[in-house]
Amino acid sequence: MRSADSPNILEVKGLVKTFPNGVVALDHVDLEMKRGEIHAILGENGAGKTTLMNILFGLLKPDEGEIYLNGERVVFHSPIDAINKGLGMVHQHRKLISAHTVFDNIILGHPRTGRIIEKNKLRAEIEELCRRFGFKIDLDARVWQLTAGEKQLVEIIRALYRGARILILDEPTSVLTPPEIDGFLQSLKAVSKSDITLIPFVTHKLPEVFAISDRVTILRRGRVVKTLRTSDATIRSLAEDMVGRELTFELERPLVQMGKEILKVENLSAMNDKGLVAFKNITFSLHEGEIFGIAGVTGNGQHELAESIFGLRKPVSGKIYFEGKDITKHGVLERLKMGITYVPPERLGVAVVGDLSLIDNVLLTYYFEKPLTKAGFIDYKLAKNLTEKIIAEFNIVAPGPGAKSAHLSGGNLQKLILGRVLIKNPKVIIANLPTQGLDIAAETYVRRRLLECKKMGIGVLLVSENLDEILQLSDTVAPIYEGQFVRILNNVNLVKEEVGAMIAGAYSRRGTVYA
Amino acid sequence: MLSLRVPKIKLERIVIISQWRAIRISVYSIASAFLIFSLVLFYEGADPLQAFQNMFSFAFDPKLGLSLTIHRAIFIMFCTMAFIVPLRAGLWNIGMEGQFYMGTIGAFFIAYTFPNYQPEILIPLMIIGGSIAGAAYGAVTGVLRGRFNVNEVVVALMLNNIAFWIVYLLVVGGPWAGIAESSSRPLPNSAHAPYIFNIPFTFFLAIAIAVLLFFFLRMTVTGYKIRVLGHSETVARISGINQVTLFAFAMTVGGAIAGMAGYHMWAADPAFLMIPRPDAYKAIGDLTYWGIIIGLVCLLNPIPTIPASLFISSIITGSTVLVRRMRLPFGLDFLFLGIISITFAAFQFFYNYRLRVMRR
Amino acid sequence: MIEAFQSLWPFTTRFLEVSTILLLAAMGELLTQRSGVINVGIEGLMLFGAATSFLTAQTFDAFAGFLAGTVVGAVFGLFHSILSVSLKVNQIVSGMGVWLFAMGFVTYWADRYTGPLRVSIPKIAGLTPAVFVALVILVALWFVLNRTHFGLKTRAVGENPAAAEVSGVNVVRIRYICTTVGAALCGFSGSVLLLSYLGAWSHLPTKGLGWLAFGLVMFSLWRPGILLAGSLAFGFVWQFAISPHTIFPGFPAPLPVNRMLPFLMTIVVLTIISTESFRKRWALMKPEALGQPYIKE
Repeated sequence: MRSADSPNILEVKGLVKTFPNGVVALDHVDLEMKRGEIHAILGENGAGKTTLMNILFGLLKPDEGEIYLNGERVVFHSPIDAINKGLGMVHQHRKLISAHTVFDNIILGHPRTGRIIEKNKLRAEIEELCRRFGFKIDLDARVWQLTAGEKQLVEIIRALYRGARILILDEPTSVLTPPEIDGFLQSLKAVSKSDITLIPFVTHKLPEVFAISDRVTILRRGRVVKTLRTSDATIRSLAEDMVGRELTFELERPLVQMGKEILKVENLSAMNDKGLVAFKNITFSLHEGEIFGIAGVTGNGQHELAESIFGLRKPVSGKIYFEGKDITKHGVLERLKMGITYVPPERLGVAVVGDLSLIDNVLLTYYFEKPLTKAGFIDYKLAKNLTEKIIAEFNIVAPGPGAKSAHLSGGNLQKLILGRVLIKNPKVIIANLPTQGLDIAAETYVRRRLLECKKMGIGVLLVSENLDEILQLSDTVAPIYEGQFVRILNNVNLVKEEVGAMIAGAYSRRGTVYA
Repeated sequence: MLSLRVPKIKLERIVIISQWRAIRISVYSIASAFLIFSLVLFYEGADPLQAFQNMFSFAFDPKLGLSLTIHRAIFIMFCTMAFIVPLRAGLWNIGMEGQFYMGTIGAFFIAYTFPNYQPEILIPLMIIGGSIAGAAYGAVTGVLRGRFNVNEVVVALMLNNIAFWIVYLLVVGGPWAGIAESSSRPLPNSAHAPYIFNIPFTFFLAIAIAVLLFFFLRMTVTGYKIRVLGHSETVARISGINQVTLFAFAMTVGGAIAGMAGYHMWAADPAFLMIPRPDAYKAIGDLTYWGIIIGLVCLLNPIPTIPASLFISSIITGSTVLVRRMRLPFGLDFLFLGIISITFAAFQFFYNYRLRVMRR
Repeated sequence: MIEAFQSLWPFTTRFLEVSTILLLAAMGELLTQRSGVINVGIEGLMLFGAATSFLTAQTFDAFAGFLAGTVVGAVFGLFHSILSVSLKVNQIVSGMGVWLFAMGFVTYWADRYTGPLRVSIPKIAGLTPAVFVALVILVALWFVLNRTHFGLKTRAVGENPAAAEVSGVNVVRIRYICTTVGAALCGFSGSVLLLSYLGAWSHLPTKGLGWLAFGLVMFSLWRPGILLAGSLAFGFVWQFAISPHTIFPGFPAPLPVNRMLPFLMTIVVLTIISTESFRKRWALMKPEALGQPYIKE
């Protein structure tokens, strides 16, 4: 099918991809990209964006379906094939060498670079390219010195220098500050004017979708919901399409009188691992029997917040009070002893040790106090009984308490992680993405258990990306965006699309968020 | 057209390794080492089976090599346990040679300072002195790694060389020099290790420590924390386990055990009872590296080190017979150590991959 | 003045030889580490190089000896690559395996021939030609690392192999080449030690020099220039410790203290550069992916 004057530079027909665990990531996806347009792909986490992106870039092979470039059928076996055919990718987790200069990063692996690096010749070519698009970047700067936006620019330049006609951008604005975003949008416009097609893959950053794109395709659960011109949509309509109106399950949220305040966070701020501000001036309180739900897309500071409250991350300012006492300077062990527990977002290698038995893993929350330890010794008999109790009570499918935790499925492991915390009857549970990677049955089970915490007077701090989950479980909902709580809302008559819009940035007042 | 059916061998990555598989790998690697060693013997013109028979019969003959075998086995046991404890916490204790030298210094210092004490008091004091010296040396490495994140392998090696020269300083023409200027004065009689059933008492000490370590790691809270830390620093951090103190503790314990070897080596072997010439005590220092290999082969478990050390020690003792009686070149036991080391390293491959033969 | 210089010349040639030995081994490890692979078996590679070159030179001639030592180093470098890069074995275990094997094998193989070399090694003005070879290699190493595409790829692989892969770099190939060539240099270093410096075989002749070279690489911030300075300094201290009286007649400190010095210096320097003020600088220069096996997703 050759049409030299087809306006579609990229076409995808009937793409299907199923993963070994049975999950259908892409379900007959069709796409059309016009030459020189900026076409955004929008969708929640789990909608299939990453899979689609990886297939386009040659990192994955589809089970069914075809890809056409300029009307010609192409099959990619590796990213090199994709690069050679004119596709460039700008990754979310920058694939740049931080210690090297911008120049070195651009010429790395480039066919024009030759054996001995002819600095002047290559430099002139790159400078010419930058001039053409209006890019301003210091070629001799080290990448680690650059801001997130500049790093992204380097990736763009690198792709363009290799002759990319189509640029795939993975979450391009997720780490940019508002002033950088404007600069970034300018660059994108300049690039698209040169007839280069840009495909940004976006989750929730709705204001930018509007500012950037000509058209937008919305993915939900592996299917294309619709493709439309951006000018024909509103933030509200996009949020609706992304998230869907139906709630996927029903759970009874017990009406329990909230008890006294047990946790108070005051003006807390902390940095993330890259040295940038993760969250700023967060203030809220948690009460006995309350489930406080922090809703947001990963990368907006909620994980760093959870870590700070548990003691894994030192805040740079602000205070944390537990039952009236200032615990800001306390370490993890002290907080554990006080009854503050944590369910991390990952299991193997983070919450549990795969090579150790279930008993040893249960001990991780008991080794520092009686009755399981006495006079410096571990009472393994008691520990075994406790583990068996947890296995029984939480319906965990396991060969036995002595089995290695790596032998358990994700769902059963999560039940163990939750169980070892719940049996203690703690005061606070910080549940960070508690249902991540679980199947429906396990998900429902975990959620039910969290709800039961209310009756036990436990305060639960829930961090989740799943709006259904937040709305079903929480008494209080705090959507987080770019390190700040957009609002703190009572979960009464809340509308899902409202919250969805908040975590997507619809309510961010640019410039005033970073006060 | 004839087509050859070559079975396709697929490499499969293993996520977790079962205890049985790990044990099998250890056994196979030793067996392979034996095979390779046999090839060497064959090349040298000796009959491997005859050679092994000579080796082991000499090593275990009470009238010939048995006492040496037992003595060296005890030494290796100490070294192996000194390696195991830190590695359980995730630290590579390559510094046993230095900790052993410092243990020697500590023990001998006590002996020379209090030569008139009763053996019942002097000997425990010597052992304690050796342990403290070794522990302190181990602590240096542990602290530098815990606090400053300095690579413990390099530091340990440097310290090993330094300790060698400290012993040299004291012994060769130094304050401890004996009649022959390059070795030390002999130990006072009260320092000599007493024998029980013709076995130096340090044997029972080593076994006691092995058993103690086994229960320590299994049953105590600190042992538990060490094990968790050795498996995953992340899980340890999330569970409130303090890495810095545990690193220092583990290295100190390792150093202490290696330091005990400093008493045992010289005071429990009638052939020494003093610190010998530098090349002789260096040769013993080189033996400490057996601790690394045996520790790894025993999968960091203290109890199997008892039979494993005896086994290796019999090879060390037995190869002297090969050199003398069968006129084989010097250094065969050393060679066997080398062969086991490289075989074991190569067999680590099986920790990560499983070979699956696919029928097309 | 001239007499003083002339009397110091023998000492100078000797310490330059030690510096060369250190420099060669360190350069080899530097190349290996720049690609992200850590090889702790330097001492073993030097032992193999020394033994092989000694036995080859006894039978043939000096040149063959140097060549043989280098080749043996390369062989074990290849072995280490296969184990660490392809089979993903823990790099420390693999390196130590090579070292301990070398200790055992070399003792068994060469100790029976303990004694002096029968062949004479050509010298230029009293200096072994290896000194000049080492300097040439140093310049070449600098050039390759900083001015060629291969060098850029190597450095990238050592920092972030995933990013390099995405740019079209063959990570595995680069690591193999760097580890093998690096080990070859270590083998060559061993030959220089035996043939030029010692001139005779004895039991385990390396005496910790390999580990000193390893320490040198760590605190040279992975730059060839600092490596040169470090090897000169350490070579001087090492030789000084052996014969202090040529410089300072009547030097009071006893011999063992001097012999300890290079090792003490290494610990001190390593600790200093790990303190807060230096740590950032050092961490910046350290190849980020050092020691981590590269697993393709």
